Amino acid sequence: MIARLLVLGLFLTGIVGLVAQRNLVKKAYALAIMNSSVVILFVLEGSRIGTEAPILGGPPGSFVDPVPHALMLTAIVVGVCVSALALALAYRLYRIYGTLDSDELKRLSGHE
Amino acid sequence: MSDAELALLPVFLPLLGAALALLAKTVHGNRAASMLESAGAVVGLVLPWAALAGLLPVVLDGGLPFTVSGWNTTIGIAQRLDGLAWLVDALGFTGAGAAYLYSRGNGPKDPLFTALFLIQTSALAATASTADLFNLFVCLEVLGLASYVLVASSQKPGAFLAAFSYLTVSSAAMVFFLIGLFGFYRLTGSLTYEGIAGGLAAMTDHGGVVAALSTACIVAAIAIRVAVMPVYGWLPDAHALAPHAVSAVLSGVLIKTPLFALGRLLAFLPDGIPAMELAGTAGVVTALVAVLVALSQKDAKRLLAYHSISQIGYIVAAWGLGTPEGLRAAYLHALYHALFKGLLFLSVGTITDAAGDRNVYTLRNAATALVRSGDRRLTVALAYAAGALSISAIPPFNGYASKSAVTYLFKGGWEYWVLFAAGACTVASFLKLSMIFLPARQTTERGDGADTIPETHGEFRIRASMKAAVLALAGLCIATGLFSGKLSIFAARLLGVEKASGPLYGFSNLAKAGLTVVIGSAVFAFAISKPGKRLAALVRGRPRSFAGLVLAFVSGLAAIGARLALFP
Repeated sequence: MIARLLVLGLFLTGIVGLVAQRNLVKKAYALAIMNSSVVILFVLEGSRIGTEAPILGGPPGSFVDPVPHALMLTAIVVGVCVSALALALAYRLYRIYGTLDSDELKRLSGHE
Repeated sequence: MSDAELALLPVFLPLLGAALALLAKTVHGNRAASMLESAGAVVGLVLPWAALAGLLPVVLDGGLPFTVSGWNTTIGIAQRLDGLAWLVDALGFTGAGAAYLYSRGNGPKDPLFTALFLIQTSALAATASTADLFNLFVCLEVLGLASYVLVASSQKPGAFLAAFSYLTVSSAAMVFFLIGLFGFYRLTGSLTYEGIAGGLAAMTDHGGVVAALSTACIVAAIAIRVAVMPVYGWLPDAHALAPHAVSAVLSGVLIKTPLFALGRLLAFLPDGIPAMELAGTAGVVTALVAVLVALSQKDAKRLLAYHSISQIGYIVAAWGLGTPEGLRAAYLHALYHALFKGLLFLSVGTITDAAGDRNVYTLRNAATALVRSGDRRLTVALAYAAGALSISAIPPFNGYASKSAVTYLFKGGWEYWVLFAAGACTVASFLKLSMIFLPARQTTERGDGADTIPETHGEFRIRASMKAAVLALAGLCIATGLFSGKLSIFAARLLGVEKASGPLYGFSNLAKAGLTVVIGSAVFAFAISKPGKRLAALVRGRPRSFAGLVLAFVSGLAAIGARLALFP
């Protein structure tokens, strides 16, 4: 139970950071935290039925469910791509406008 | 080659093309590099048509379920190439092909752009035919990643910010998608649509609250990609600031594919029908509200972007009925919208580039600007006219056929009148946009009345490939309008519709079209009057923020969740 509450805490940290932070780099990290919380949730779920690594040679029933783990490998890769791209965009914006503040950027780029 | 292998070609050929285009970065010599790049484009955008043609008999026989590489169904990635997937593929390759042709003339010209464009096309095809929830997640993420970079590839400073907002919002939404996926996996231990449906059916309460909330998470996450109200906020900036060719694909193809993929999933879920109904109602509202906002815009491409939201509202409304007839009308409008909105983005983009001005209120004499940029026969202006007439639903252009088909479904309901009002406002908005062809205002005329030509804008030339792309799309707009009946029968056969569609050229339909134009002209007259312009400025100046978009997403999610969980 406590593990799940911690995961929820991480998730909320991420979403609050995404909305409340004005710094683009912090927004990118908030997104990564949010993504990680879901990854941990899946890993936690996989270990509900057992805790051993699913390698041949143990009693059946002691292994983790490998499917969520396999899925999360892909989700982590996707998450890394998203983080990298977000940071690259933030860097380009910083080079053009000299600021990472989202409100300031909106004003400078003349967004309607 | 077996059918299952053939069915993977629309996904893998664009990837192969992308690899060829990337290879062009490594070879020395411009000639070899550009040949490799062109070969990549042909492999990725033309060859899939051969595969689609080869697959048509199987699709007509009822579709082809298969797993990638023929793995066992319990562990393989389930795919299903049925009529819907085939039609969505056809839509995608038409839109992408025309847009790519245009990009050869007006940039961005770069092997990297070609590669990304092809990766995006591949993800489109994969999204169209997937029958596995996790695979859908991966397809949507690849689609998203490619499109964020493509939006930023216009190198406009605003585009970077638009891409960043688009990325953060849609990635955050995909986290919710994963949570929904988690819910279904926990309930059923399966990820294929059929497995999930089977697992839920075996339970006494069909998954209960957990299934309802999981459905809500997935629907809300995809609604962001489709940009239906209230979660449309990322779209106008992204579509307005992307390169014209990318705008055409984003608006024409990219926002619809996730919708049809979602429909395929929802057909398997117990909460699917109420979720679709809810989305459909949101779609009707979207159709009207977005067109009102469009009417108040001054940036030409942003105006078109709001029209995309409005038109997707029509599509979602018809799709939300959850019937085969609704799906057919939704698909036809999606296809026709891909043609005419692609055409509008390309032609208006060309005109604004030629004139060096994007403000609808100040840009005048557009025809002169076109001639000066090398379009002596005004091909682009004529193509624009075809697009504008199509979206305004003037017979015999294609928009008339599909909008009639959509509104026919709602005959007798309040939705009918909302969509009718949206149609009238669309006419008004395109009358306003067409003002760019008027001669310049008297007030700007100085001296002896010589034509006030806007200052020359760089070295912008309208190239043959750009003309070819807009001409092809304009031709398709007219052809699909003229042969809409045949196309509708073909789509009906692929989608398994038995009922015939309503009469297309009946007296009441034509009278309605006439009335739409009359009311639209009245709305137009108001929109360009002083109070109308003040109102427009108010609408443009309404506060829009990133936090507001996230809030809209969360409240939308809560609304769907409450509807599905509390009133099953």
